[in-house]
Amino acid sequence: MSDKARKPRAIGIERRPGRSAKAGPRQRKVDAAARKPHARSDLPALSEVPEDEAQRLVDDMELRPPERTSRAFSWMGLFLAAAGGLVALAVGLSIDQLVRELFARNDWLGWAALALAGLAALAVAAIALREIWGISRLNTIARVRARAEQAAASGDLARARGVVAELRSLYASRADLAAGRERLAGHHEDLIDGDDLLKVAERDLLGPLDTRARKMIMASARRVSVVTAVSPRALVDIAYVLMENLRLIRRLSQLYGGRPGVLGFWRLTRNILGHLAVTGSIAVGDSMLQQVIGHGLASRLSARLGEGVVNGLLTARIGIAAMDQCRPLAFVAQERPAVTGYFTELVRLTGTGRDEPSSERPAKST
Amino acid sequence: MARLTSFTDDAKIAFDNLSDAALNLFAPPLRLGVTGLSRAGKTVFITSLVQNLMHGSDRLATFEPVAAGRVAASRLEPQPSMDLPRFQFEDHLSAIADERRWPTSTRSISELRLTIAYESASAWNRALGPGQLHIDIVDYPGEWILDLPLLAMSYEQWCAQAIALSRLPNREKLSAPWREALARADAQADQDEAVARELADRFTDYLRACRQDSHALSTLPPGRFLMPGDLEGSPALTFSPLLLEPDAAARRDSLHYMMASRYEAYKSVVVKPFFRQHFARLDRQIVLVDLLAAINAGPDALADLQTALGDILSCFRPGRSSWLGSLVRRRIDRILFAATKADHLHHANHDRLEAILRALVETAMREAKFAGARVDVSALAAVRATREMVVRDGGEELQMIAGTPIAGETIADDVFDGETETAIFPGDLPADPRQLLTVGKAGGQRFPQLRFVRFRPPQIEAHGDGVTLSLPHIRLDRAMQFLLADRLA
Repeated sequence: MSDKARKPRAIGIERRPGRSAKAGPRQRKVDAAARKPHARSDLPALSEVPEDEAQRLVDDMELRPPERTSRAFSWMGLFLAAAGGLVALAVGLSIDQLVRELFARNDWLGWAALALAGLAALAVAAIALREIWGISRLNTIARVRARAEQAAASGDLARARGVVAELRSLYASRADLAAGRERLAGHHEDLIDGDDLLKVAERDLLGPLDTRARKMIMASARRVSVVTAVSPRALVDIAYVLMENLRLIRRLSQLYGGRPGVLGFWRLTRNILGHLAVTGSIAVGDSMLQQVIGHGLASRLSARLGEGVVNGLLTARIGIAAMDQCRPLAFVAQERPAVTGYFTELVRLTGTGRDEPSSERPAKST
Repeated sequence: MARLTSFTDDAKIAFDNLSDAALNLFAPPLRLGVTGLSRAGKTVFITSLVQNLMHGSDRLATFEPVAAGRVAASRLEPQPSMDLPRFQFEDHLSAIADERRWPTSTRSISELRLTIAYESASAWNRALGPGQLHIDIVDYPGEWILDLPLLAMSYEQWCAQAIALSRLPNREKLSAPWREALARADAQADQDEAVARELADRFTDYLRACRQDSHALSTLPPGRFLMPGDLEGSPALTFSPLLLEPDAAARRDSLHYMMASRYEAYKSVVVKPFFRQHFARLDRQIVLVDLLAAINAGPDALADLQTALGDILSCFRPGRSSWLGSLVRRRIDRILFAATKADHLHHANHDRLEAILRALVETAMREAKFAGARVDVSALAAVRATREMVVRDGGEELQMIAGTPIAGETIADDVFDGETETAIFPGDLPADPRQLLTVGKAGGQRFPQLRFVRFRPPQIEAHGDGVTLSLPHIRLDRAMQFLLADRLA
C-alpha cells in the first residue's frame, strides 16, 4: 500500500523540465527512503526551505490567471495609430521649425525655445511614467484580488501567506494601518488555514478602510441629493452629480491604495460602470422597489426632492461598485454595504421619511 | 436504536430542565459537553479553551466575539452542580505551562463554570440582554457513553455480545485467561462471591489490556470497570458476562441470577443517573478523537474506534432546539467532531486527517443533520507543541514538524530522551481515507509508512513581568466559533 500512496506524489513533484527521463526511477527510490517516517535531531544542520521560497514553489504550480486576450486586428485601430503617428510627427516638425526660425531671428530666443521644448518633453515623460505606474498599481491590486480568490478556493496556506505578504507591502507605508498590520503580524504563525488567514487579513487591514469608505460614500450621496434638491437648473445638478461621482471614485481608489493617473482612472471608471451594469440588475430586487417607493413618496411632496433621493442612491450605488473594484480583496469576512442602508439616511436627510418628520432637518426647498 | 429511557425518566428529565429554566430565566447557561475516549485530550482541550478565553484576544483571531473586541472579561465562577468535582483548571495549567508535561488524565466527570461578560452585536440585544453568558463545561469520559446502549439491553443479550466480541481475532489472545475462567464457571451453580470476584477481575484485566497503547482498542463497555472511582469493589461493579445456554432461565440464587441482578444494579446505580443528570442536559457537544494513536496501533484499532464512535453517536439526542421545547427537553443542537493532536502533523496533511474522521463518523453525521443539528468536523490541537518546517533532503522537500518528543517514544530506530528538540517526518496520510479504513476492515498489520510521535508541551514564553502568554493552539478558535459564538451574538 505504501507504494500506491507514494507514486502519484512522486510523479507530480519530480517532473520538472531539464531532468532526463532515465533519472526518474532512481530518483523515486531515493524518495521512498526519505518519505519513511524518521527523525532528525541535527536541527541546525537541516537546510530549511525559507518561507518565501516555499511560496514560490506553490506559485510555480499555480495556474496563472489567463492573460487578457490580445485585441483582434482592426482597420480602425490601424488608422488611429497611423494618424496619431502623423500628428506626432507634425507636432515634432512644427516645433523643430519654430526653433529653427527663432534661431534665425535671434540666438537667445532659439535657446530659450529649445529649453522650453526640453522641459515639455521631460514633463511628458514624467506624466507617462506616472500613468504607467498608476496602471501597474491598479494591476497589482487586481492581481492580489485574483490570487486571493484562488487561495481562498484552495485553502492553501502558502498561497494565502503570499497574498497577505503582497497586501502588507501594498499598505506598508500607510501610517493609519499600523495597528492592523501589527495585529495581522501577530496572527501570522497561529493561523494555519489559508481561508482563515485571508479573512483575518481582510478584517484587520481592510476593515478600517471600509469604515472610511462607507463614510465617504455617505457624504457624497448626501451632498448629491442636497445639491440636486436645491439646484435651480437641471444642467447644474447633472454636472455636479458627474463631478461628485468621479471625485468619489478617485478618492475611494486612493483610499484602497490605488493611485490612478488619467488613463488608469479612465480604465477604473469603465470597469466600475461595467460592474454596475452586472450587479445593478441583481440589486433590482432589494432596492429598486424602495427606490420607486421613495421616489413616489418624495415626489408627491416635491419632484426635486424625489430626484435628490434618486441621485443620492445612484451615487451610493456607484460608490459601492467602486469599492468592489478598488478593494484588493473581495468581500468575504466584512459585510458588503447595501444601497438600502443609505436609503433611509437619504430619505431622512431630504425630510420625506414617514417616521422622521421634517422638523429634525428642515428641508431646504419646499 | 431501542429507547434508552422509560417514561418516568423522561418526566424526571423534563422536570430538571423546567427547574433549570426557572432558575436561569435571565441568563440561561450553555452546557458544553466535552467527551472523548481516554487519552483523546479532553483535559488539555478544556484547559486551553479556558486559558485562551481568560487571557484575551491575542490568539483567537477567528473567534469573532473576542476578535471584534466584544468580550469584556471571562472569569471562573462557582459551578452550579454541588455534587460534581470541579475541573482542576489551575493544576492542569501549571502542569502544561510550568512543568511541561501533559496533565494526568481525569477518570471521572467534572464541571467548570466560565462566565463571559460581553457586548451583544445587535442593539436590540444590548438593550435587553444581561450581556453575560455562563458556560458550564462538563467533562466526562467517552467510555461512559458506551455504557448507554446497555440501558436497552438485557443481561443475556449483553453476554452474547461481549463473548462474541472477545472471540474476535484481535482480542482472542487478550481475553484468553478470562474465557478460560468462564469455561470453568457454571452459570446454573449456586451463587458464590469468590467465583464472581475472580470472573470480574479477569474481565477487568482483559478490558484493561485492550486499552494498552499497542492495541488501543476502544469498544469496551462497561466503562466504569476501568475507572471505578468510589464504587470500586461494590457489587455493582463485580460481575461479568457468563457463558449461557440459549433461552436459559435464571434459577433463583444461581450464579446467573446473581450476575444478572448486579448487571441491572450497574445500570440503575451508574448508567441511569449519569444519563439523566448530565448527559440529557447538554446543549453543545464536542467529541474529541485521537485518530493518530489509532493509526499508530494499526487497522484493528482503527476499525474498533469506528465502532466505538458509532455507538457513542447513536446515544446523542441531536436536533434543533426551540425555545419552548428546550424548557422540557434539551437537545444538542451543535456537535463538533475533532481529531485532536493535529500538531503532530504538518498542516498540509490536516485536510486528510479531517477527511478520515469525516469518513468514520459519516453515518452519525447524516443522522444528526437530518434531526436538525449542526455538525462539523475539524482537525485541531488544543495546545500546539510543535512548529512546522520544510526541509530539503536529497532534492525533495519534506514537510517536517519540530518539537520535543516525550521520553521513550520511538520512530524508526530512534528512541527519544525527552529533552532534545527533534524534527520528525511522520509520513503522509493517504489522500483517500478509504485506503486506511478498508485495510482496517480486512485486518492486518500496522501501517509501516506512518508513525506519529507524541510531543511534550511547548515552552511557553513569558512576558518580562512574568505573565505567561496564552497557550498556542491550532484551530481552537474555530472550534469555539462553532460551539459558542452564536450564544455571544
